[in-house]
Amino acid sequence: MIAGLGLLVGIFLGLLLQPDVPLWLEPYLPIAVVAALDAVFGALRAFLDGIFDDRVFVVSFLSNVLIAALIVYLGDKLGVGGQLSTGVVVVLGIRIFANVAAIRRHLLHA
Amino acid sequence: MPDEPERSTTDSPPQMWIGLLDHITAHSMDEDYANVSRRRSSGSPRDQRDVRPGVAAMVMLGLFGLLVATAAVQTSRNAVAAESGREGLITQIKARSAKVDATRDRIVETRREVERLQTQFLDDTEEGRAISRRLDRLGTDTGSLAVTGPGVKVVVDDAPDATSSQQEVLDQDLQKLVNALWESGVEAISINGQRLTNLSAIRQAGSAITVNYRSLARPYVVSAIGDPNSIPARFVETEHGAEWLDLEATFGLQFDLTSEESLTLPAATRLDLRYATSSEGSQ
Repeated sequence: MIAGLGLLVGIFLGLLLQPDVPLWLEPYLPIAVVAALDAVFGALRAFLDGIFDDRVFVVSFLSNVLIAALIVYLGDKLGVGGQLSTGVVVVLGIRIFANVAAIRRHLLHA
Repeated sequence: MPDEPERSTTDSPPQMWIGLLDHITAHSMDEDYANVSRRRSSGSPRDQRDVRPGVAAMVMLGLFGLLVATAAVQTSRNAVAAESGREGLITQIKARSAKVDATRDRIVETRREVERLQTQFLDDTEEGRAISRRLDRLGTDTGSLAVTGPGVKVVVDDAPDATSSQQEVLDQDLQKLVNALWESGVEAISINGQRLTNLSAIRQAGSAITVNYRSLARPYVVSAIGDPNSIPARFVETEHGAEWLDLEATFGLQFDLTSEESLTLPAATRLDLRYATSSEGSQ
């Protein structure tokens, strides 16, 4: 499957190249990963629902990552970076759990 | 950007009447998937696309994998950096404390050398020998010389399974003990190898008791030189000695007084007078 191949190639490239993350970007990396995870699980659920769409996935992925990083950046500037990160992680965490639950229902019919 | 989803006819947005958390759970999947799918099934021809993931999805997932791998690599790299920083600090601490120990040893050595030279110099003349004897006596009194003789050894410790600070030996308890010993007529005292001088303070510093600015570890061994036959009896007659027996009986503090035929008390490590000078002038 072409998408899974993309994932494998991405991980492989990351491990192989080990790119240096610039210092100013470092605090936003973990939150970006969580946001991306949310978009990916949403896409998987949409795929299983039969309503997957390439364009929606691309847009949701990019906007998720950007907005999550932007919120944390804004919080850092306002001095509430930690609290805002927690808020973002809570909301994305709830979404991920709900999506995984739906995926599980699809795959296991339970 | 995808089009704004068509809202239902209610006036207020849904999160106002179903609660924020419920709303998040109910809309955990991007609403645009449903919107696009609805538009597609309504049959507008330009939206007739494949529902299977295409090249764009593959690229995005590749990006996702790259992101995850980079984050993981970065985290482990930071952990390694933090660990090596910690180890560097530990090495520095060890090196510095070794240096302090060496310097301390040198101080002791130099002081011994000074004493030796002093004795050598004084022993040359009759007058010098008199001064030397006087120095010896003063040194024994003030604690700058090690002394030996018969005496008593008092070992005190916290109550077994102490739960409150009343069941622990505090600085004031040690002070009482030392005062009671002085009152009973002892001539020199050391606590855990720290000789008491007229400048010594017994103080609580954090959770430890310090004597001569050195922290002591339990149990506290108080060695005192004096008449081993009379001290125990006179000890219990003093006010503070009686208080100690009370402490032992009431709070279970451990107290053990034994007579010793021969005790050696070390010299005090610091005896620096910074302000006081002799008013008699030079002798």
